[in-house]
Amino acid sequence: MIDFDARLRAVRDISRVAAEDLRGRALAIDADPDAMDAHLGSPWFTLFRQSDTPVEYRESIPGGVPLPDGLRMPDRRSCLENVVGFVETARGDAATVLACPCPGLAGVLVELLGSDAQRERFYTRLHGGRTWAFFAMTEAAHGSDAGAMESRFVSDGGGGWLLFGGKRFVGNGARGGVGVVFARTGRSALSVRAALVEVPVVGWSGRRLETVGLRGAALGELEFDGVPVSGEMMLGEHLPVTRRGLWGAVKTFNQVRLHVAAAAVGTAMAMAEYVGEHRKGAPGLSLALARTEAARELVYEAAALMDRDAQRGYLSSAAKLGATRMVVEVARWASGVMGPGGLLEHPLLEKWTRDAGAFEFMDGTGNVQRLHVARGYQAGDADGRS
Amino acid sequence: MSTSMMECERTGRDAGLAAGLALTLRGTAVADIAPGRYAAVPDKDLPDGAAVRRHRLADGEGIVFLECPGERPADAEGLAGTGRLLAAVRLGLVRRTLDQAVEHLSDRLSGGEPLIRKQLITGAVADVMADVEMLREYATGQAEPVALADVHNRIDDLGWQVTKLFGAAGYLADSPGGALYVSALAANTWVPRTEVER
Repeated sequence: MIDFDARLRAVRDISRVAAEDLRGRALAIDADPDAMDAHLGSPWFTLFRQSDTPVEYRESIPGGVPLPDGLRMPDRRSCLENVVGFVETARGDAATVLACPCPGLAGVLVELLGSDAQRERFYTRLHGGRTWAFFAMTEAAHGSDAGAMESRFVSDGGGGWLLFGGKRFVGNGARGGVGVVFARTGRSALSVRAALVEVPVVGWSGRRLETVGLRGAALGELEFDGVPVSGEMMLGEHLPVTRRGLWGAVKTFNQVRLHVAAAAVGTAMAMAEYVGEHRKGAPGLSLALARTEAARELVYEAAALMDRDAQRGYLSSAAKLGATRMVVEVARWASGVMGPGGLLEHPLLEKWTRDAGAFEFMDGTGNVQRLHVARGYQAGDADGRS
Repeated sequence: MSTSMMECERTGRDAGLAAGLALTLRGTAVADIAPGRYAAVPDKDLPDGAAVRRHRLADGEGIVFLECPGERPADAEGLAGTGRLLAAVRLGLVRRTLDQAVEHLSDRLSGGEPLIRKQLITGAVADVMADVEMLREYATGQAEPVALADVHNRIDDLGWQVTKLFGAAGYLADSPGGALYVSALAANTWVPRTEVER
């Protein structure tokens, strides 16, 4: 059990306030994820963006964005604080959190692999809150096998590159204005590199994919036909060759895996609480709440461990596996307990039952997490935790 | 297995959910028997001017939700019959999408090997079929409401197991995973579950 100190309580409480705003936007964004104009002015979106940006690259906002007394946004360097925040905001609506233009996954990678100039370029482009960032790694034919990616950086003969290939299931793919793209410069695993790309650019095309749920994430498909990438946009030039490409992707996923688990937990809590509110005495409610709270504690514990030792991913994979299973179980229970046709009478609940499936496919499927858990167990990571 | 159960499963497998639901509801006065305020029906069988609720994913599967206002006396026998036939249709849809999943996994390589040969995947495919065999028997002739609710809960879970075999591609609206979601949504309108522990 994680003890909540004043800092964690302040993060939790402000995220609960934000959740109310997010929930009010949830059905509109689900209905039309392209119609974001009505939402981009939300002060919460501004706060999310600012808190996800390193201090030195934050934009100046006249008058600032006032926070309620005693409350604070998560420190972006603390996994536990972010996870506590994500659980609460996802209790409002996870898809709306993902619809917010933020540095997100791309920001984590740019921080890991980017030079000062690249960081400045990336974060500055996000100023104003109307530009989304993308992290383009997954390919249609190689979902969990990043080492087999086929997108290529081909030398342009003058120190730059031309990007060919395509990506799929990229959050904000079609609407993104800046982000990172992975491709290979040769055949070896070390030849996989990432570059900063600003859109629009010649040779780049994208379209949004229609998904079952979590539509605020705006998953997209991208095609590259000779997209020019200057040498100075290639990430990791200043780093050893072993730390330029896939290493950064693995580090990024390790850092955000628990954010996905937290979103799953928050979504499950939202469903259980919704049922409790709309169907008093619903059978199984106590059990559903107890299960979601157990998953939340596991995710908290894994986040605290990640802050102490980021190299050991056993518990974060176990937490992600457990949380993504649990949210689907809670969705099934909630679907039944509202009675025949109940989902059609409760569109927000119905939306969450669709959203619940998305977490399985984000940042490594269940089978990928199973392999991590088994490896960690065999390496002794299940023992000796304090 | 009775002929009609077999016919429903075959239709679900060969022609999909809407065709199977049409067969399930053939000759049924939907508004007289529906257990809730909405009942899933095939779009093509809709009477002119009928009040319906539409759903983005269900539209893609040719399914709409007929409004059935007011209270009705419960027709336990009629509902059990619908629940059984719909279970057969849904099992047929699970078979249909499992066939598609196996084809999908045979074409995808990981580490130079087709995914279908990976033990985690092979085991998942086997578990789905073992459950299909069991659930077919469980549903056949089943008249106990709590057992029929259990059958459909398990088919919901089975649909999710198949959806996962497609990876993220199974989360696309026009994918087999989308069809399996609509199958669960349709069953949600026809099969009361509230008494079943999850």
